[in-house]
Amino acid sequence: MASKRLKIDREWAGRRVDFPAFSAALAKRRAELAEPDLPRNPGQRRTASKRALLKAIEDAGGKW
Amino acid sequence: MPPASPYRPEFEAALRLLARISMAMHRRGLQRPVLVGGAAAEFWSSSAISTGDFDLCTPRQDALEEEMVRAGFVRPAGAGQMLKGWVHPELKLGFEVVAEVPMDGNVARDMLVLVENFSDDGDFVLISVEDLIADRMGQWASGTAADRLDQARKLFALHPSIDLVYLERRIREETMGDHGIEALED
Repeated sequence: MASKRLKIDREWAGRRVDFPAFSAALAKRRAELAEPDLPRNPGQRRTASKRALLKAIEDAGGKW
Repeated sequence: MPPASPYRPEFEAALRLLARISMAMHRRGLQRPVLVGGAAAEFWSSSAISTGDFDLCTPRQDALEEEMVRAGFVRPAGAGQMLKGWVHPELKLGFEVVAEVPMDGNVARDMLVLVENFSDDGDFVLISVEDLIADRMGQWASGTAADRLDQARKLFALHPSIDLVYLERRIREETMGDHGIEALED
């Protein structure tokens, strides 16, 4: 199964990111910039469907 | 010991679920869904930008939703026609299919990004940071989301090896020619 996955993945024609290296480099860059996190989106552009979905998540006890 | 993850734990949990569903699609010979919007911004900013949106694009919504159900997603009880999203009751998160292709088809398939070695569950796909910045700039330029400029600038600062030629072109496209990279550098 592993060899099949590797074979198919070689067919990917787009860009690739190696997550461990990427996340380490990005964390380092964030530390260098020392900028605060941005506030959450105010949600003014959300569709009715999106608002309903977020309410359903909240009703399930989640908080995104 | 591996370094602590810069991502929110709940965001990582959602990405693992996405990787699992993406692998299931891939094994069926179908394209993996493409992560767009706020969750893509959270990925490219390592949670410096956090949102409640987990939006996906796929031309095979039927197959993707089959895999989401297999992974434990449900339609929320009492959901009306208004609700197109799915909730995972154990992880308490939601996914929504928002389009067949990212950004109205303005993103070339070879600009999409495959994230590898994220988890044993598989790989997943999202829009490039250049396209995401252009998307934020387009929303800002439309006058309906003033905060998106801050997001675009933050993403631009976090990725110094960005493709500037492609970014310039994409910002021009998304802002009807009104803006380019210079708006990120003020």
